[in-house]
Amino acid sequence: MNEKELAIAARIKEMLSENLRIPAEELDYEIPLFGDGIGLDSVDSLEIIACIDSEYGVAMTGVAKENFYNITSLTKYVVENM
Amino acid sequence: MGNINARCVVTGLGMVNAIGKNVDECWENALKGTPGIDRVKSVNSDACYAHLGAEVKDSDIEKNDKVDRVSVLCLQASKEALKDAGITEGSIDASRMGVIMGSCVGGVVSIENYIEKGEKTEDINKMSIASIANHVADMAGAKGVVTNIGNACAASTMSVAYACELIRAGVGDVFIAGGADAFASVPFAGFTALHALSENPCSPFNHSNGITLGEGAGAIIVESYEHAVKRGAHIYCDVLSAGISSDAHHITAPRPDGIGQMYAIRRAVEKSGIKYEELDYVNAHGTGTAKNDEAEFLSLHTIFDDVNDHLSVSSTKAMVGHCLGAAGAIEAVYAIKALTDNKVPPTIGYTAEDLETLKEKAGKIDFMPNEMKEKEMNYVMSNSFAFGGSNASIIFAKNEGNMGEKENDEDIYVTGIGIVSPVGNGLENYIAKVNGIVKNEEVNLVSELGKEDFDKYDIKLAFYRKLDKLSTMQVVSGIEAIKDAGFEFNDENAEDFGMIIGTGDGPITTVYEFQEHISKEGTQNGSAFNFPNTVYNAAGGYLSIKTGMRGYNVTITNGNQSGLGSVCYAANEIRQSRAKAMLASGSDENSDVMKKLYTQLGLVADAKGGIYENEKGIALSDGSVTLALESASNAASHNAKKYAKIAGYAMTHEGVGYGNIKGSDAGLENAVKEALKAADIDADKIDAIFGFGNGLEEVDSIEKNVYGKLFDKEMPVINVKDYVGEARAAAATLGAAHAALTLSGDLSKEQDAYFMKDGNVRTGKVNTEGFEYVLVTSYATGGSYSAVILKKVN
Repeated sequence: MNEKELAIAARIKEMLSENLRIPAEELDYEIPLFGDGIGLDSVDSLEIIACIDSEYGVAMTGVAKENFYNITSLTKYVVENM
Repeated sequence: MGNINARCVVTGLGMVNAIGKNVDECWENALKGTPGIDRVKSVNSDACYAHLGAEVKDSDIEKNDKVDRVSVLCLQASKEALKDAGITEGSIDASRMGVIMGSCVGGVVSIENYIEKGEKTEDINKMSIASIANHVADMAGAKGVVTNIGNACAASTMSVAYACELIRAGVGDVFIAGGADAFASVPFAGFTALHALSENPCSPFNHSNGITLGEGAGAIIVESYEHAVKRGAHIYCDVLSAGISSDAHHITAPRPDGIGQMYAIRRAVEKSGIKYEELDYVNAHGTGTAKNDEAEFLSLHTIFDDVNDHLSVSSTKAMVGHCLGAAGAIEAVYAIKALTDNKVPPTIGYTAEDLETLKEKAGKIDFMPNEMKEKEMNYVMSNSFAFGGSNASIIFAKNEGNMGEKENDEDIYVTGIGIVSPVGNGLENYIAKVNGIVKNEEVNLVSELGKEDFDKYDIKLAFYRKLDKLSTMQVVSGIEAIKDAGFEFNDENAEDFGMIIGTGDGPITTVYEFQEHISKEGTQNGSAFNFPNTVYNAAGGYLSIKTGMRGYNVTITNGNQSGLGSVCYAANEIRQSRAKAMLASGSDENSDVMKKLYTQLGLVADAKGGIYENEKGIALSDGSVTLALESASNAASHNAKKYAKIAGYAMTHEGVGYGNIKGSDAGLENAVKEALKAADIDADKIDAIFGFGNGLEEVDSIEKNVYGKLFDKEMPVINVKDYVGEARAAAATLGAAHAALTLSGDLSKEQDAYFMKDGNVRTGKVNTEGFEYVLVTSYATGGSYSAVILKKVN
C-alpha cells in the first residue's frame, strides 16, 4: 500500500473499531471481516457502507461482496472510486 | 384462587391512529380502505430516502404537555375504552383493576426534546416506557398490577395476554390492556439506516419492499366473565389463549423457517381448544418487509393450507402503518371489531397486476386485497412479531372456546442464580463479598465485564460486540443462572424454557446516544449497528439467541420493582403455561447518560451515607441478576439444588404521580398483605425482610412506617444495596437472590441487618439460621410495589 492507501486503511480500521465495537487488536488489514473471520453480518455491512459514504463520499450500496472481504479490499475500492 | 381456564372477556375498546380518533372512526375508515399514510411532519426526513408515515392528526388528540406524546395517545384510547366499558371512578373495586401497556420506543420524543430543547428536567420523567401504564393507572385510579411490556412490535399483544393471565391467576378482575407508540425520529432514523422503510406506502404481502411507520394507541378492557356479567357489562367477545415464543435466531430478522411464529400460532390455537379449521380471520403482522412477509406466508400456509379452506388474512398496516409497540393492540381492536361486526377489513394497495401475482402466492387463503367483505365469524387471531425474535399470537372468540389445560400446581423453586454487579461478577464472588462484609463506599458504581467473563461462558467476539452494556450484563447473568441451575434443554424442548426480564430504565442510554447522534448528524445518519439495541427487549432477545431458549420471552418495565415483578411473572408462567423452567431477571445500566439524568433529578448522593439514615440520595449503580425458577418435577428431573421455594407473591399500585419518589405506605402495605394471603401464612411467620431502601428519605420512610405497622416484632431488614448500591431492577432481583442464598445457608449465618420497630431503626447482627419464611420487597417511583415470600427448603 502507498501512503494514501495506508491512511485510508488506518481510518477504516478505526471506524470498524469504533462503530462496530471490534477490538483494534483483533483487526489487521487482511483478516476476513465476514464469515469465519471477524463474523460481521448484513447489519454491519450497512454501517460500513454508511461510514465510507460519509467519510469518502464513495457509495458502496449494491457493490459486489468481494469488495467487503477485508480492510485491504475496502481500501482498494475506496481509492479506485474516490 | 386462580383458574387458568377462567373466561376472560372484552368489555371496552379504545383506539386512535392515523385514520381516526376513536374506534368507530378507525373502524369505518379501515373498512373503506382509507389510507392514513402521508409525508411525515413530525420528523425531518428531507435528507432521507423515504418520507412517508402514518401520523395521528394533532387535531385528533388532546393537548397535554405534562406527559410524552406516547402517553397522550395511550390515555386517549384508555379513556375511550373505560367509557365504552361503562367503568367510572368508584364503580368497581380499584384494588382488583390493573393496567398493562405495551410500547416499543416509549417516551423517545421526550429524549429528543431533552437533547434539542435545553435539557429540561421535566422531560426526564417522560422518557421511559415505564411512565405509560402509570399515567393510565393514575387516570383510572387502578390499584392492582401495573406494568408495561417492552417487547417492541409484539409488546401490546403480550400486554393483552398478560392481563388475561393475571385474571386467570385470580389477582384481578379488570385490566386496561393495550399499548401505544408515538411517531419519533429514533425509529424513523433506525429503520432508514436498516433500509427497511418503503419509499411508497407499505404494501404487505404484495410488493414487500419495506414498512411505513405509524403511530397510535389501542386499549382493551379485559375482564373476568363473572365480573362482567355481575355488573351487566356489554361483552364484545372472549379472549381465548395466546401463544408467545422467541425465535432465538437474530436480533432484527425473523427466522426464515418461521418456526418461532408457527409455535406461537399453534400454541394459541391448541391452548384455546379450538380446531385449526375453525379460525375465520387472522389480522396478520404483515409489515411489508420481504423477510416478514415471506416468513408469515410460510407460517400461514404451513399451518392452515391443508386444514382450513375459508381463512381470511389481512394487514391493516397498509392503512395505519406499523405502529410498533401499539400495533398489537390496534390490530387486536381491529380483529375484535371484525369478529363482532362480521366484516373483514382489507389490505389496500393492490393494482390489477398485483392481484394476479397474489393469486399465485395466496393459495386457498383470502388475503383480502383492496376490498372488505362480510363474513360470519366465530374465531379470529391477531399476530405480532418483533425485533429480538419475539412472537405473539392471540385468539378472540364469540364463545368461550374449549380451554382445558391443567394448571401446574407443583411447588416452584429457585434453582439457579446469576449475578453481574459492580462488586464483581458471579455468584461465588457475591457470596464472598457478603460473607466478608465488603460494603459499598461509592456513590457512582458500574459493573464491568471483560474477556474473562465472555471466555467463561464461551461468548464469542462476533456475538458480544453487537451488544450494548445492558444486553451484555443480561446475557452473562442469564447464562450463569442457567449453568448454576443445570437446565437441560435441546432443540426438542427449547420452547419449554423461557424468561421474564425486568428493567427500570431499559436501554435509555443507547436510545439517548442514538438520538444525540442523529440530532447532530441528521435523521438520515442513524446507526444501523446501534438501532437494534434501542428496543427494551434486545437484552432478552440476545439471551435467547445465545442460549437457544425459544419459550416465553417478555420484558417488563415499571421502575425498580420490575426486577421483582419479573419473579412474580415467571412463577405465574410456570403455573399457567407448559414452561418447565423460567428465568426471572432484573437489569439496569449505569452510564454517563444515566448519571447525568439521575443527578439532574436530584437523586444521587453527594457522598456515601447510610441507608435508612435520612440521607438524601442514592449510590447510583447497575448490574443484572437472574434467578432460575423451576417446577418441582423439573428440578427433580436433573437433581437441581433448591435454594428456596416461592411461597407467594403480589404486585400493587397506589398512584402518587409517575416520577414522584414519595411513594405510598398503603401501596407497600397492600403488596405485603396480598403476598401473605397468597402464601397462606400470617404476618408473624415472616422471619426477616429483604428491603428496598436506598438512601432517599422518601423511599426509606415507607419501609420504616409499614413494617412497624404490619409486624409485631422488631423486624430484621437486610438490604443488598449496602453491598451493590442502587442497581434498580438488578437490586430488586438481587434482594430475592440474597434471600434465597440466606435460606439455603450459602451465606454466613450472621448477617448485618437493620432492626425496625415503630418507625425506629437500629443496626445490628441477625442470626439467620432459624429462618423459615422471608419477605422480599421492592418499589417503583409512581407508587408500584412488589412483594415475594420465599420459604426455606427442608
